[in-house]
Amino acid sequence: MARTLIRRIAFGVIAVLGVAVLAFLLEFVVPGDPARAIAPRAQSAAVLENIRIQLHLNRPLIIQFLDYFGELFRGNLGTSYVQRQSVTSLILPRLATTGYLALAGVIAEVIIGGTLGIASTLYARLRAAVAAVNLTLLALPQFVVGLVLLLIFGFRLHMAPVTGGAGLAEIVLPALTLGLVGAPWYAQIVADQLADSLASAYVRTAVAKGLPDRYILWRHVMRNVLSPAITMIGMDLGAYLSGVVTVEVVFGWPGIGLLAVDSLQNLDRPVVMGTVIVGAIAVVFFNLVADVLRMYIDPRTMQDPA
Amino acid sequence: MASTTASPAPAASRPGGARTKRRDRAARAARWPGTLIAGTVMLAVFAGVAVAAPAFGNPLHQNLITGLSPSGLPLGLSWAHPLGTDALGRSELARLAYGIRTSMVVAIVSNVTSIAVGAAVGLAAGFFRGPVEAVLMRITDVGLALPYTLAALVIAGLMTAGLTRVIVIITALFWAYPARLVYGEVLRLRHRGFVEAGEAMGASGVSIASRHLAPHIFPLLVTYSPLNAASAVVFEATLSYLGAGINPPTASLGNMISDGQSALSYAPHLLLVPAVAILLITMSFLLIGEGLKARNPDLRRVSWLGR
Repeated sequence: MARTLIRRIAFGVIAVLGVAVLAFLLEFVVPGDPARAIAPRAQSAAVLENIRIQLHLNRPLIIQFLDYFGELFRGNLGTSYVQRQSVTSLILPRLATTGYLALAGVIAEVIIGGTLGIASTLYARLRAAVAAVNLTLLALPQFVVGLVLLLIFGFRLHMAPVTGGAGLAEIVLPALTLGLVGAPWYAQIVADQLADSLASAYVRTAVAKGLPDRYILWRHVMRNVLSPAITMIGMDLGAYLSGVVTVEVVFGWPGIGLLAVDSLQNLDRPVVMGTVIVGAIAVVFFNLVADVLRMYIDPRTMQDPA
Repeated sequence: MASTTASPAPAASRPGGARTKRRDRAARAARWPGTLIAGTVMLAVFAGVAVAAPAFGNPLHQNLITGLSPSGLPLGLSWAHPLGTDALGRSELARLAYGIRTSMVVAIVSNVTSIAVGAAVGLAAGFFRGPVEAVLMRITDVGLALPYTLAALVIAGLMTAGLTRVIVIITALFWAYPARLVYGEVLRLRHRGFVEAGEAMGASGVSIASRHLAPHIFPLLVTYSPLNAASAVVFEATLSYLGAGINPPTASLGNMISDGQSALSYAPHLLLVPAVAILLITMSFLLIGEGLKARNPDLRRVSWLGR
């Protein structure tokens, strides 16, 4: 277990560093002059040159690269070109805001998806209806679901705010969007795992012993759903924390995704880099946590597959 | 599922009898599940629309006099304009047809490119092992750890808007998952008898990979590709919606939705028309995926609880 864990952590660190290097290189090939983005109306070349010197943009690429990664290893993500404050201080509050949404979204998908999955496995009459719902939700892009919810509950029924923000009233629709779009995946896993478990030898034994259905379901069958569901929750938390860009754009939720989009438009390289790196860390970290939890719940998965 | 367990099939039945006919029908249903037929038909319709897009009118023609209401607002549904007009007085039907064309091209091309790259990487990593495997799989890890949308926006900044940009972005982000999938399958197959026999007989690495491994991986990719195509359609729409894919005036379902969003309060059909189109295209791919999955006998299971 310890060896597997160390291996996983090492791979995760390598993946995050790879993302950082890739992001750094891509950022530098992106056309556009950050100095001009900072001072769009500056006429004299001297002003622009001055800005470049201040930001060390005049140095060779390799020096900038070494500088950046030297600082990165000390936990410093640099200073925003536009806001003149440290990237970490810009990102952390945004990360928390995205975190609330991610958590609410995951709770919504587990509830909706779990209900659909259990209903379709245990009640044959509902199977076709659930399959149709699953298919529809699976086929819709996040931003379309978001816009349709906004249209119905915001513009038509006036039940939800349409102006954006990060309050309790504002979280309902974006979380519901994430929940609806994510639900079919959970429904699928739950249904799959339940069917697997119901067809297994240990359920046959339990039935043969004369245990009541309810007991078999809760003590033997449902437990097996937990382990793949946890893997999925981990993947989703990571993916959502790396920025639910479209949902944040649709609802004006001031999270890390909206920050990244704004910074990209302002050519604010350090902030874009920071959000990409923090996003990659979130993805890798939550996958790792999910793997460890799963090994704990279901020791059969202890062996490393790859 | 429970219904298939009971009533053991009679050992022999009269040739040409009702039973044989029923079994034939059952066999055909197993090969061609309803989901597969429905998906294929829907996809064929969309392919037809994509090919015949010019027949639905000019998507760029702005009809500022008859295409807008007297107060300058987009028109609703009518005989002259079956799906209404957008804020610039352009026929929504024509734009829809061209948007569908864009989606279909993206679905087909980027599906092939991303799966080809992924399969090549996965096959190479699983087959050659050693340093090749280590390097390729760590690169795949990077691909899987990339925050999708953000990475797409960064890449989008490098290129000019258009179909090529969308296809490059989708390929760059979508190859990693099939690579992982193929890699896992190759590892599983590597120590099977037929591969070891080939090696023992002195077959070259390339011959084993192409003649013994690839045929086993192909069905896996066929099952995966409808899902991949569906994701590609969704991702194209997302990119174009965010302004990082295909930009106006070229029609794409994504940028049509973006236009629709600004008219959300007074012309909701501009949002709903492209939204329904995306839903149906993606759904046709997913139905095909479901149908292919239903053909796999390994996935049939029978519950012991009798329900």
